Amino acid sequence: MKLEIGRINIKDIQFGDGTFVQDGVLTVDREGLTAFLKEDERVAGVRLDIARPGEKVRIIPVKDVVEPRVKIEGTGAGFPGVTAKPSQCGQGRTHVLYGAAVVTVGDIVGFQEGVIDMWGEGGRWTPFSKTCNVTLDLQVVDGLDTHTHEETIRLAGLRAAEFIGLAGRGAEPDEVLTYEMGGIFEETEKYPNLPKVLYAEMMITQGLLHDTYIYGVNAQTILPALMHPHEELDGAVISGNCVAACDKITTYQHQNNSVILDLFAQHGKEINFMGVVMVPEHTTLSGKLRASDYTLKLAQMLGADAVVVSEEGYGNPDSDLLMICKKCENAGIKTVLITDECAGRDGMSQGLADTASEAVAVVSTGNVSHVVTLAPAERVIGNPESIAVLAGGWKGALLEDGTLMCELNAVIGSTSEIGYHHVTCRQY
Amino acid sequence: MVKEIERYGIPIVHMATITTISESVGANRIVPTVAIPHPVGNPALSPEDEYALRKELVGRALQALATEITEVTHFE
Repeated sequence: MKLEIGRINIKDIQFGDGTFVQDGVLTVDREGLTAFLKEDERVAGVRLDIARPGEKVRIIPVKDVVEPRVKIEGTGAGFPGVTAKPSQCGQGRTHVLYGAAVVTVGDIVGFQEGVIDMWGEGGRWTPFSKTCNVTLDLQVVDGLDTHTHEETIRLAGLRAAEFIGLAGRGAEPDEVLTYEMGGIFEETEKYPNLPKVLYAEMMITQGLLHDTYIYGVNAQTILPALMHPHEELDGAVISGNCVAACDKITTYQHQNNSVILDLFAQHGKEINFMGVVMVPEHTTLSGKLRASDYTLKLAQMLGADAVVVSEEGYGNPDSDLLMICKKCENAGIKTVLITDECAGRDGMSQGLADTASEAVAVVSTGNVSHVVTLAPAERVIGNPESIAVLAGGWKGALLEDGTLMCELNAVIGSTSEIGYHHVTCRQY
Repeated sequence: MVKEIERYGIPIVHMATITTISESVGANRIVPTVAIPHPVGNPALSPEDEYALRKELVGRALQALATEITEVTHFE
């Protein structure tokens, strides 16, 4: 399978007549996009805005972030099974407006959405302070239940990314990244002496607006599934999560999964990267036991020497993470775990809800409980009062002068467990 | 909380869905429950069946409290 990602570098963004890219500036047709989003009868009002890197702008509460893209060659246009008819992702050529993002804003459940600051202290913690953002603040018609509200906003974000992504159709990419990987036997024949490494990507699939979708299938309903890494990089996986902002994997982060990209970079050099197992995180013990057993079985069937496991969320999924670790290690398959920590504001508490002596190689992506103080913004997109009900915020967290205090919990992507963020470790 | 109450000398039972976490935090009497969002209920059941389920779970927890144990014990 061969996938080409053509990056069209976006340096600035503006509203204007038509949607196109010229000299690295993305122009977005505000009226056209508004009308397009209003084709969904559940959308009552659309407020579009722009937030640029470095501007003293705060976006709150953020639901999802999506990268605008367009398919140039091959199947898999749009988000198959969600906004477009089902088709195979991961092959052909996709153009990406690299440096641009669609950000969906607005209260849905009243907690567990996040904040993006485009500058200063807050901007240091979120990767989406570096993107030129089009924000969508949507009002839905009266009487929608919460799940339909979430679905409406989720689809609007994806459709907006498609609408804006069309600007990449005629543009010449500044850079073309080529990913190519043959069948598992073929690659193993090519690299017989390299360790065979599988990536197990855990996904929040817990219902109650905590869901992830693969080709439109709610991943709550699946057994762990083997995917070609290209598929996720090409729009097969999307977020439907209203969950703690710091470590939910936004759709943008699925499209640019850092673990996949890093494993690709080592493929054929230090490792033989075999593929991705998408592992659902269940709310029942039997679900967790079944998913971890099944993940081990897939690793054994593929003859994996090692599995890199990334978690999504914290708390109960810590047990899934350690079940996979224990089962693999006891079967002679090495594991590396990637997780954040919920270690209290002083960082002194136990980082995970569960422990295992088999977990000997663990990468921490940060402490979600770390408190940050964010200076007042000149402009707020959305509703600053919502910090009182965000996970990681509290009543009184918004001071009178507009200063915001919160745990990293509330900052989008700040402790990303797939490593798509800015936190680094230093040993003293 | 489970450990501190037990340390004080009051028998305690941990009703929890993810019993592996119960074990790792040091609970001794464990009653496995239904699911994280609804530990002692099940919205998929009829009200009558759910009531029976809840009564059975609480009964099992009371039984666990009244049972002498010498090691970590699951009451399934």
